[in-house]
Amino acid sequence: MSTPGQVVDHSALKVNQTGIIATVLVAFVGSAVLRPLLVLIPLLAIVLLVGTFAPRLALFKQVYFLVLKPRGLVKPRPVQDRPEPHNFAQGLGGVFLAVASVFLIPLPVVGLALALLVAVLAFVNLAFGYCLGCQIFFQLERRGIIRARA
Amino acid sequence: MSAQLWALAAVSVVVLAVAGLEAFRSSRARRLAARATGSPAAEPYIVYFTGESCTVCKTHQEPALARLGDVRIDRIDAVAERGLAERFYVYTLPTTVVMASDGRVLHVNYGYAPARKLEHQLAEARRGNLVSAAI
Repeated sequence: MSTPGQVVDHSALKVNQTGIIATVLVAFVGSAVLRPLLVLIPLLAIVLLVGTFAPRLALFKQVYFLVLKPRGLVKPRPVQDRPEPHNFAQGLGGVFLAVASVFLIPLPVVGLALALLVAVLAFVNLAFGYCLGCQIFFQLERRGIIRARA
Repeated sequence: MSAQLWALAAVSVVVLAVAGLEAFRSSRARRLAARATGSPAAEPYIVYFTGESCTVCKTHQEPALARLGDVRIDRIDAVAERGLAERFYVYTLPTTVVMASDGRVLHVNYGYAPARKLEHQLAEARRGNLVSAAI
């Protein structure tokens, strides 16, 4: 159940998604010329996973809250919403990128495909507002498999 | 470079397969939903299916509906009113159904429908009203 009055700044989510897409694309395209750029994928996995468990350490969101928002570069968009599904989606993205990182050296095609899939889903969320991770969260919550922290 | 190309090809196949399945599912649901009927009204109206878990409803669909102005909108919680949602084959939220004033289903939009699209569908519904009034 959503708590009345809970507000999520959707601009922070959009900045986060933009950061994910940009990082994966730089790693994906850049690694064709400069292979060490692949390291961006495990780094992004760490950023997303850390940000899921400690939102204060969510890199892209902090860029938004500390730089973009105060300077008026991105306007805030507060929406009455629950933060848990979005955090779950971010964590899921982090898990997929962690799995992608494991495959990057032995099976680069699989690793790159998984990373690209995360970027595609982030793009779908950014462009169309459809959050697959959030849907998975609601389904799991409905079945009582996970519960949002009170 | 070839790893990148293979990965791109794999993801493209997945995306195309998902898009194809989604297109098939929505066209089938739209066809089935067109058989449903609603209550008659003086003017065409919109049945809007939403739910507590639907973020797009809050961020996109509701502002779009607010831009339509003086149009009757029947807001339905698809989770609470499952029977009604099933009647219109609602499988995704938001879903908007444009109803003719005689209660016929004219358009079913699965997913976010922008204000311009809804305005166009409502205008079509009103034109239909005028034609039937003239006959």
